[in-house]
Amino acid sequence: MIKYVFRRILQMIPVFIGVTVLLFILRAPGVLPGDPVRMITGERPISDALREQIIKKHALDQPLHKQYYIYVTNLLKGDLGESYQRRTSVVDIFADKFPNTLRLALAAIVIEIIVGIAAGIISAVRQYSFSDVFVTLSTSVLVSVPVFWLGMLLQIFFGIRLKEWTGGAVFLPMSQMSSSQFPDWVHLILPAITLASVSTAYVARIMRSQMLEAMGQDYIRTAEAKGLTRRAVIFRHALKNALIPVVTFVGIDFGVMMSGAILTETVFSWPGVGREIFLAVGQRDWPVVMGGVIIIVVIVMIINLLVDLSYAVLDPRIRYGGAQE
Amino acid sequence: MSPATRRAASALEIDEVAGSTTRTLWGDAFRRLRRNKLAIAGLVWITIVVVLTISADIWVPPLFGDPLTVRTAPGESLQAPSFTHPFGTDKLGRDVFSRVVYGARVSLTVGIIAVSISLVIGLILGALSGYYGGFIDALVMRSADVFFAFPYILFAIALIAVLGPSYRNVFIAIGILGWPSIARVFRSSILSVKENEYVDAARAMGASDLRIMFRHIMPNAVAPIIVYGTMSIGGAIITEAALSFLGMGVQPPTPSWGLMLSDAKSLMFRAPWLTIWPGFAILTTVLAFVLMGDGMRDALDVKMKD
Amino acid sequence: MAALLEVRDLATHFFTRDGVVKAVDGISFSLDPGKTLAVVGESGSGKSVTALSIMRLIQEPAGRIVDGEVYFKGDSVLAMNESQVRDLRGDRIAMIFQDPMTSLNPVFRVGRQIGESLMLHRHLSRKDAFERAIELLDMVGIPHPRDRARDYPHQFSGGMRQRAMIAMALACDPDILIADEPTTALDVTIQAQILELMSELQERTGTAIIMITHDLGIVADMADDVMVMYAGKQIEYGPADSVFYRSGHPYTWGLLDSLPRHDVDEKGTLLPITGQPPSLINVPSGCAFHPRCRYAREICPREVPASREVGEGHFAACHFAGQDGFVRGAAQAGGEVA
Repeated sequence: MIKYVFRRILQMIPVFIGVTVLLFILRAPGVLPGDPVRMITGERPISDALREQIIKKHALDQPLHKQYYIYVTNLLKGDLGESYQRRTSVVDIFADKFPNTLRLALAAIVIEIIVGIAAGIISAVRQYSFSDVFVTLSTSVLVSVPVFWLGMLLQIFFGIRLKEWTGGAVFLPMSQMSSSQFPDWVHLILPAITLASVSTAYVARIMRSQMLEAMGQDYIRTAEAKGLTRRAVIFRHALKNALIPVVTFVGIDFGVMMSGAILTETVFSWPGVGREIFLAVGQRDWPVVMGGVIIIVVIVMIINLLVDLSYAVLDPRIRYGGAQE
Repeated sequence: MSPATRRAASALEIDEVAGSTTRTLWGDAFRRLRRNKLAIAGLVWITIVVVLTISADIWVPPLFGDPLTVRTAPGESLQAPSFTHPFGTDKLGRDVFSRVVYGARVSLTVGIIAVSISLVIGLILGALSGYYGGFIDALVMRSADVFFAFPYILFAIALIAVLGPSYRNVFIAIGILGWPSIARVFRSSILSVKENEYVDAARAMGASDLRIMFRHIMPNAVAPIIVYGTMSIGGAIITEAALSFLGMGVQPPTPSWGLMLSDAKSLMFRAPWLTIWPGFAILTTVLAFVLMGDGMRDALDVKMKD
Repeated sequence: MAALLEVRDLATHFFTRDGVVKAVDGISFSLDPGKTLAVVGESGSGKSVTALSIMRLIQEPAGRIVDGEVYFKGDSVLAMNESQVRDLRGDRIAMIFQDPMTSLNPVFRVGRQIGESLMLHRHLSRKDAFERAIELLDMVGIPHPRDRARDYPHQFSGGMRQRAMIAMALACDPDILIADEPTTALDVTIQAQILELMSELQERTGTAIIMITHDLGIVADMADDVMVMYAGKQIEYGPADSVFYRSGHPYTWGLLDSLPRHDVDEKGTLLPITGQPPSLINVPSGCAFHPRCRYAREICPREVPASREVGEGHFAACHFAGQDGFVRGAAQAGGEVA
């Protein structure tokens, strides 16, 4: 097991190097238009002395591979550099935003697990029934909906229309800042539903096909022949087998939500990691972009490793490391 | 009979059998597809959108107004849907219906060109990787891993930031980002086809690598590619809309559905029609590609990891 | 004494897009306590569907028991409600399946799966059920049962898995054990061990066994009665000795001729039954076996043969069954039926 984890971490190194190199190529002089010093200082005039100082500080006079070496050395020490725009350390910026993203992602994951799994099970157990057709159709629609549009529709309905119809009595906050009369978690509802929408549809689809496959297996007949109730057969014998691929999807999805929430965060003005990186791209604030992407890539890699390891817990056939027979 | 000629003869026979099964495979698939009402609905909708879009120059401007003409006279902007403006007008007095129809041009063009770019890169790299294996395989697959490790939408944004936001760069960025999935799908098809004896037989007869690739491997690997490509068009349309929504895509005044939604954001309260129709257009078009992709997957019996 | 299990005119049909499949079409037999009935036939002859019908495990709405009666200790199984049937399953009538590789749930420990029916039917605690499972594993001859009970199915070999399946089936001391081709998926040497184990356990527990198989050979020593099925129909049924030595149906003769016989004639050739098993959607008219039967006459495609008694309690569904000279070996000897 430890050997397996070690091997997996070793495999991550080339991918990690690839990501950082690619990021460095993207910001290399000539690729990006403009003077790097100007990117840092903006349009205001600067003295030659200050210019020299900035070049020295950010090692802009060094060749690219040297800059890369300096960057990676600092990175390994936990230093992601300093924002060009705000003079604060990149680590601090994301330490500030990360809890927001995490909160939103966790809320979305909870929705996706509960709704997605329930819909998938109902759909599979009552194959070809009205509920099944409904679930199948609505999942197709959900994967086709642009999330930002869904967010806007939810805002129009729950934030504006509902308020009008109920004379201002019932509505949901449209963004984190829009109203402070609500407890914190209420602000999460609409963004979380928006962020969860597509994933919920995928979970429901995977769950449905996995349940159908599990329910066609011989061991289900064995369980029925034991005299178990249909409920026990479905929820004990089929579900545990069907859940394994769903866990993988949810795990990977959690990683995607770390960054893929840009659109949801934009629609709801949610101050998260994705939005921070997006804004930094617009400002050419490369230390923030690189630091943010690297943080996300590392988190995604760790999550993927955890997902693989959770296999061993869920599926006894998989044992990492030692050959066992 | 020498072993070589026997092998050659059997290869020819197998070749014929493979040919005929391919034909019936497509025939069966077509029949199954025709039975799938949802897939047919998707196909019909795509056809309608394509026809409306191609013919738009003839009927849209005279009936509803030019999608780009700004009318700022009092009462012209932000009109609610009416008979003359079925989807209302936007802040600059432009007809929303007209812009939605022309927006389909942008979406379909981006979808098709982006996926074509992904296909070209993905098929070449996937073929090299699957057919030759070894170092090339490792190189291609590890590069794909790097692409997968990147958060997708952020990668697209970063690429656009480097290339500069424009219509052309949007489909280049989406196209570049799409290759790893195609390469993986194609590579695994090749690996599974390569195991078959008739490929060995063809090689024994001295067929060239290219001939083996096109004559023997492609026909068997093409089904998953078609399914994947169809579904990817829907994905590319959504990505274009998302990038344009974020201001990293098609630039104003070109009518793009994502851009229209971006403009609608500050007017959600006053003019909800600006939000509803472009979004609805994205939803239905993408849904049509998804349903068709699903239908073809079932018809061609392609197994896909979700 | 009333029979333990009485099946009368059982018919189970499947309703598919291509037509109605009469998987089981008029089967009758009875089973006494402690006895063994062998149900023999090619794949697709309706053996397994018969077993699943007795357990009421036919998946509706695709399949349905359309006719007949099943009495267990005098009670009609087909008239029972769902919960009464569940009380029967795994408790009074247990079943083991063909492929032990896939019939055990891969994500649960073997001991837990064996104990499950004890928790259900005997209301044992999880711990007591597990302890009992260990005893059962010991009984079916699994070494170190206490350790092995904690293993998962994939850690067992094929033979061990089938032993575990038997332990699972016998957990509640059932009156009837239905074994659906229990040895088909196993190596030949393991097959013999499993059959021996079943006979031994039957002696000890007094369980009646319905042994479903395509191989007459493996039941020769075990069976008290034999039922031969063809295309969903019962074509011969009777005491094992009578069926083996005085069979009245050409299909059974074919099955017997295709057995390697070491006792009689070392050089004797094996005679396969020619032709393919019939499609269950387009069952041949009249006697379903007639296209493959070398004794077929003009009447055979026209009329469905009735079951005739050819010996005491021994029935064969052939137009010529019981006629003088219509005996096994007649054809090989060159003699045609007069």
